[in-house]
Amino acid sequence: MTWMTWRQFRVQAVVGAAALVAMAIYLVILGTQIRHGYDADLVGCHHRAGGCGSLTAEFVDRYRARLQILGALLVVVPGILGMFWGAPLIARELETGTHRLAWNQSVTRRRWLAVKLLFVGLASMATAGLFSLLLTWAASPYDLVAGDRFTALQFGARNIAPVAYAAFAFVLGATVGLTVRRTVPAMALTAVVFAVVQVAMPVLVRPHLIAPVSDSKEVTAETVRNLSFLGSEADIGGLRISDAWVVSTSKLLNSDGQPVELDRYRACITGVFDAIADCMGNLDLQVRVAYQPGERYWDFQWLESAIFLVAAVALAGFGLWRIQGRLP
Amino acid sequence: MPPEHSGPVLIAEGLTKRYGRRQALTDCDLQVPQGRVIGLVGPNGAGKSTLLQLACGLIAPTSGRLRVLGSRPAANAAHLAKVGYVAQDTPVYPMLTVADHLRMGARLNPAWDPSLANRRIAQLGLNPRQHAGRLSGGQRAQLALTMAAAKRPELLIFDEPAAALDPLARIGFLRHLMESVTELGASAVLSSHLLADVERVCDYLIVLCDSRVQVAGDVRDLLSTHYRLVAPRGALDRLPGGVEVIRIEHTDRQSSAVVRTDGPPPGPPWTASALPLEELVLGYMTRAAEGATGSAAAVMGEVLR
Repeated sequence: MTWMTWRQFRVQAVVGAAALVAMAIYLVILGTQIRHGYDADLVGCHHRAGGCGSLTAEFVDRYRARLQILGALLVVVPGILGMFWGAPLIARELETGTHRLAWNQSVTRRRWLAVKLLFVGLASMATAGLFSLLLTWAASPYDLVAGDRFTALQFGARNIAPVAYAAFAFVLGATVGLTVRRTVPAMALTAVVFAVVQVAMPVLVRPHLIAPVSDSKEVTAETVRNLSFLGSEADIGGLRISDAWVVSTSKLLNSDGQPVELDRYRACITGVFDAIADCMGNLDLQVRVAYQPGERYWDFQWLESAIFLVAAVALAGFGLWRIQGRLP
Repeated sequence: MPPEHSGPVLIAEGLTKRYGRRQALTDCDLQVPQGRVIGLVGPNGAGKSTLLQLACGLIAPTSGRLRVLGSRPAANAAHLAKVGYVAQDTPVYPMLTVADHLRMGARLNPAWDPSLANRRIAQLGLNPRQHAGRLSGGQRAQLALTMAAAKRPELLIFDEPAAALDPLARIGFLRHLMESVTELGASAVLSSHLLADVERVCDYLIVLCDSRVQVAGDVRDLLSTHYRLVAPRGALDRLPGGVEVIRIEHTDRQSSAVVRTDGPPPGPPWTASALPLEELVLGYMTRAAEGATGSAAAVMGEVLR
């Protein structure tokens, strides 16, 4: 059965391997460049005149766009594998009637499906895993400097999470194909479901996987300068804590922990931004913030991977149950 | 290699299959003996494919019991090895070559007979490197048959394998089929809506119409118990007991009936003659078709008489 699975998967495997090799070459070149840039510009920068600040910003700017595109690509790759390796796996057999040939060899159809899922599933995981390994390696100096490991595109495109996404997307495609029984609709449905899951996970589920840490943080002029949003009701956005994931922030509070008097707050919101920041820095404000500390990064990686792997196993179990349910 | 299983190759009791509200097979009772070539005939949509797909375990019955070679169809890998199935339209993998198909058969079937497979392919003149998608319909059917036979099953099931073939390819296919059955010492079930194919190769017949089994039996037994009776009109009432009328037709002066009787054929005023298999089958099919159009038609028939 392994031979048969390989024989049917061969063309797709060659296409996938070719794409992966091209990507690997690019990532090795990029990773080498990033390392050179890091060594040349940032190692020992605090001994230089002007310090590290502007050099760091320049370094991050130079690679941000490329690494974000690569991250987005790696988040999409499991979906592509689900569409092109998963969805046709069984749907094409049902569509062309060849399952009637395959299921009358001396192999039960449960075993037939199990071998296919395992073989092509492992290939999907290896593909996403290798891509992730290379991207994680290439981007590691950048990630160290940017301190932004929890952003959706970075969290889902580094380390082990992409492997679990690939397992899930592939089994999802195969199971949808088994249920829908037509290749093209199965591919479309797989893409839609996977996209919804990939949006819902970081927005709705991931922040609550572990209860966030609550803390008060003093609002200085420097803090205000780094915010991305100041609302008229003293609500703020874009508060950052170094190497941590800010899940939610309260409105601005005064030193007693009560919401800031809006008159005092609004009196500051005039004129140039620097003046606003200085004015607010003098108000002696604080903000309550819920965040996930950076040391939880690997807890989140493992937890999220486990969730997707369990979902993949559950879907595979459904498929194995369903295929015995006699499709004509 | 003698078959391991003795007793009927197929036993159905009250076998029923419904698709939604559509009745594909209704309350079917069958006992198919071993070592025969069984013809399953009936019009399109009669339930032939349903019965054969049930027999190879591709689908499950809605109700009733089915035993093939003594166990549930497709019960396990060992049972799958004992049944060879050639599906309607003889599906093959278009991107795989002929040789790939044989390799697949060898990998997936423990009892695979490579010499049988290679010999068949050579006899047929198929190029092993040719992609199966480029074979003609006849060649594809032959490849599917080779794959089913080379796993050395005890029972071969063919679902309308020759339906789409031209007459010459069909005869070639049926000859290959018979050679395979003989070589394997296997039983075979072959469905067709073409009675001529069945007549050519089968020695046991099942007539399936309107989702029900109309008649089943050894071809010789069927021929020796069915007659055509012809008599002047009005002689209908004087049929002796033990004679079952399958179908009756009237002209102005004569009545002509297809009847079944285990005893000797009735004498004058009836004139009995032997019945060709085709007319016997047509008799049952017509009866089923008239039954299906409802009792209104039967009443009309009474009135017109």
